[in-house]
Amino acid sequence: MFRNYFKTAFRSLTRNRNYTIINIAGLAAGIAVCMMIFMIIQYQTGFDNFHEKKDRVYRVLTESRQEGTGTISYAKNVPFQMPAALKTEFPQLEQVAPVYASHNDELQVVDDSGTHVKNFKEQSGVFYTTPSFFSMFNFPLLAGSYESLKDPNNVLITKEIAENYFGDWKKAMGKTIKITGYYSMGAGLFQFPANALKVSGVLAAIPANTDFQLKLVVAYGTDFTGDAQYGFQQPGWNLSAPDFGCYVLLPQNISFSNFNQQLSTYARKVQTAENKNSYIIQPISTVHYDATTGNFSNKTISKALINVLWLIALFILLIACVNFINLSTAQAVNRAKEVGVRKVLGSNKFQLQIQFIAETLLIVIMAMILAAGITVFALGYVNNLLELSLKFNLLNNPAVLLFLVAVTLIVTILAGFYPSIVLSRFNPVSALKSKLTVNTAKGISLRRGLVVFQFIIAQALIIGTLVIIQQMNYFMNQPLGFDKNAIVNIPFRPDSTGGKLTDYLKQQLLSNGIQFVSFNSNSPVEDNNNMFTTFRFDHSIKDAAFQAISKFVDNDYVPTYKLQLIAGRNLEPSGYTKEFLVNESFVKSLGLKRAEDIIGKEISMLNGLIKCPVVGVVKDFNDRSLHSGLAPLLMATNSTMYRQASIKLSNTNIASSMEGIKKIWEHTFPDYVYEYHFLDEKIAGFYKQENQLSQLYKIFAAIAIFLSCLGLYGLASFMAAQRIKEVGIRKVLGASPGNIVYLFSREFVILIVIAFVIAAPIAWYYMHQWLQDYAYRVTISLWLFAAGGLAAIFIALVTISFQAIRAALTNPVKSLRTE
Amino acid sequence: MNNNMIKITDLEKYYRTEEVETIALNKLSIEVKEGEFVAVMGPSGCGKSTLLNILGLLDDADGGSFVFNGIEVAGYNERKRADLRKRNIGFVFQSFNLIDELTVFENVELPLIYNNVKAADRKKRVEEVLDNLKIMHRRNHYPQQLSGGQQQRVAVARAVVNSPKLILADEPTGNLDSSNGNEVMQLLTELNEKGTTIVMVTHSEHDARYSHRIIRMLDGHSVTENILI
Repeated sequence: MFRNYFKTAFRSLTRNRNYTIINIAGLAAGIAVCMMIFMIIQYQTGFDNFHEKKDRVYRVLTESRQEGTGTISYAKNVPFQMPAALKTEFPQLEQVAPVYASHNDELQVVDDSGTHVKNFKEQSGVFYTTPSFFSMFNFPLLAGSYESLKDPNNVLITKEIAENYFGDWKKAMGKTIKITGYYSMGAGLFQFPANALKVSGVLAAIPANTDFQLKLVVAYGTDFTGDAQYGFQQPGWNLSAPDFGCYVLLPQNISFSNFNQQLSTYARKVQTAENKNSYIIQPISTVHYDATTGNFSNKTISKALINVLWLIALFILLIACVNFINLSTAQAVNRAKEVGVRKVLGSNKFQLQIQFIAETLLIVIMAMILAAGITVFALGYVNNLLELSLKFNLLNNPAVLLFLVAVTLIVTILAGFYPSIVLSRFNPVSALKSKLTVNTAKGISLRRGLVVFQFIIAQALIIGTLVIIQQMNYFMNQPLGFDKNAIVNIPFRPDSTGGKLTDYLKQQLLSNGIQFVSFNSNSPVEDNNNMFTTFRFDHSIKDAAFQAISKFVDNDYVPTYKLQLIAGRNLEPSGYTKEFLVNESFVKSLGLKRAEDIIGKEISMLNGLIKCPVVGVVKDFNDRSLHSGLAPLLMATNSTMYRQASIKLSNTNIASSMEGIKKIWEHTFPDYVYEYHFLDEKIAGFYKQENQLSQLYKIFAAIAIFLSCLGLYGLASFMAAQRIKEVGIRKVLGASPGNIVYLFSREFVILIVIAFVIAAPIAWYYMHQWLQDYAYRVTISLWLFAAGGLAAIFIALVTISFQAIRAALTNPVKSLRTE
Repeated sequence: MNNNMIKITDLEKYYRTEEVETIALNKLSIEVKEGEFVAVMGPSGCGKSTLLNILGLLDDADGGSFVFNGIEVAGYNERKRADLRKRNIGFVFQSFNLIDELTVFENVELPLIYNNVKAADRKKRVEEVLDNLKIMHRRNHYPQQLSGGQQQRVAVARAVVNSPKLILADEPTGNLDSSNGNEVMQLLTELNEKGTTIVMVTHSEHDARYSHRIIRMLDGHSVTENILI
């Protein structure tokens, strides 16, 4: 029986080839999108899932309450005192591990005789921690031991790093790597002298789905780290660093909330005048979704985004199923005779339903195979776009296999059930006499409803995408208040010569035709690297109610970046800190009315280590990414704090200027890797996630509209075939081709307009919510909606008109004769 | 020969649209005995096709009684009708109604599949029938590859493959030229001689002469009956 079903199905499919291609292609595209979204979500939700003790591992967060407003915010950094204090105060904790994630470390491979062999620079991946870290997290070793991290100056390196540095990881054990790292503390960025590390272990490759992208793991206690001393200070409760965190392993008998209570009680005990923060622990299973607090990989994904992705996957699959239903029921007339014959020969309704569902299954399976093919090809592009390394491997990924089976069944039922009912319900008598038309009122209204549904989704996606694109353009083109064009930043070794080195470099560069050079701690705009500092204003005995971003910059910072002074004067050249520049926001935050009012007032920071007067006020510029608003800003000279040279290139001859800069740098710093970053590229990087999202939405919107139109095309072609006699009669009676095209298009245009009326408010609501996350945002303008709606109507009309025009141009004699 | 295969009494059938009600069968009463060959004639719209559909259990009546093989079937639901139909009745249509996607062999095989006949038996019986009707050489062709006469032979083969007690033929020669038409009538006569009851709707006096009895209908009821033998 089933063989007969499949045989009929297969022959019927090959006979109606166009219809089959539309059906399979539509379903395949829908399923492929679904499959890729599933894989992305599977990857994103699998972060740090592989640690055996993941249910008991927690991250310590600092909870700070803003004075006045009372808003609570969380940060992943903890005071340097925290790990040691937790160990002594809470002996019941099974493990406590400090983790410092270092950045921009310079590494040198040294041979046995102590001479440099190779230089490397690691932007990230250098972690300082204790063996306890590995008692919580599962990162297997290929050689050596975790315990070696008890002794300072030992380092575990990953296989990849070992191969990169030493050629063969097996040769790495016992080798020496010199590290020169920077560490931040409060408002300061400090360099520690180069330290020789011994490779005491090799870690297996780190999986992609962990937020600990380890490369080199240095024993805590090396360099500036340690329980007894941190940098040049006693590790107290007042100081912390942005990437200094702490992880704990709770014993089985202590609950998360119970420990949090104990911790907050303890926090009140250790509060100081400067530090009124409290602390909580956070399950590591939630870390990857915590976009506001962030993590060491700087990769997070919000639960909301995951839900949106699920929703899009579902909608695209639904659109594909709707196509199937529409086409199947529309062409049901062609199958009417078969249904009639089968009924006459004794088939009952149920057998016919099974037959048509089996036929659907056949189509879905073919679509599934095609979808797998599409996925294999498209995955490379998706990986590229989202910076992932997803692989389509069914055997290694039972979840994907299960997903495929589930989707096959769901789609078969969703898409096959209704048409099977419609087809099997045909009255055999009328079916055999070809009296059947699908223009029964009920059928058409369902099909209309489905078309409206498709276009609601497609138009909502189009409008949403347009809003995202508009917001991205705004990010890219919004004047930031400083010059970002043709400025290149070159990381710079801190100057311990009191300004001699910077003076030398500056002179070299200027004689090379460079116009402006500034040495500074960081660029006018930074995303995550901002150093906030507490300070006291005008001899106050209390810290000011707000913290300010601090930047250390030389006197050329203002002209290089074309900052505007609105009061006072620029900084004077100096190797140490002797005066401050502030921004307008700083003045306003203090409650001063006029910028001039702050000139000459003293600011004290770093526990009174620095006390100087304000000499000038600059006009506000965007000192943070446009996700956040402006922040109060302090700028001062201090040559030991400069970490980069900012060079303004003239627009002519950029290549030769860059070549000259490279020569100067390599000549001056032969031991270190030369690198450079263009400021505009760095700024674009702040919006990478939005950019990826906008690319992704563009694809989704395109697929949604493509699928909807595919369905429309199929529907229009069946309508044209069905109304061929009507068209013939109308033409005989004098209708022009234009009348006929109008006849076909009118209904669909009405449906799309109805869909637009529903889609527009939905899209507006969601995009309005989305924009609320940005301090700087576009207003959703009406033309966006108009453009979205008109685009949908235009595309749909083009799709329909193929069929409509063909019908309109048919010779009426021919179409009437076939009756 | 004397048992009634079909006995309908006061059979009524209406077709309703929103505004008008058309009476297709108006208290029609007829009987067909086992082994009979009956032709039903009458002008268009007299209700012949409606009668045939009800006899074939494709449609149900709105009133009256229909006793098939001694069982009252008026009021049977679709499932029961389908079951009774597939075991007892074969159909031959004016427009053949072969399934285009299936070959000659597969078309003829279809009733056997619905009657759950095993594959080996099916093959044997289909081949037998195709052989009898001299279309064995066309077994792997598709309907469109055959002439009208050949298609109707296949349709007849399909109607008889299951050895039904009753064959209902709806203008079986309507789409055929006279020589092909005569061949089909010959076939039906042979089947009838072997014991199959046949009810045939036709417009052709010529074809009607092959039958034992002609029922003439007008406006939903039978007006005369001509006994030919």
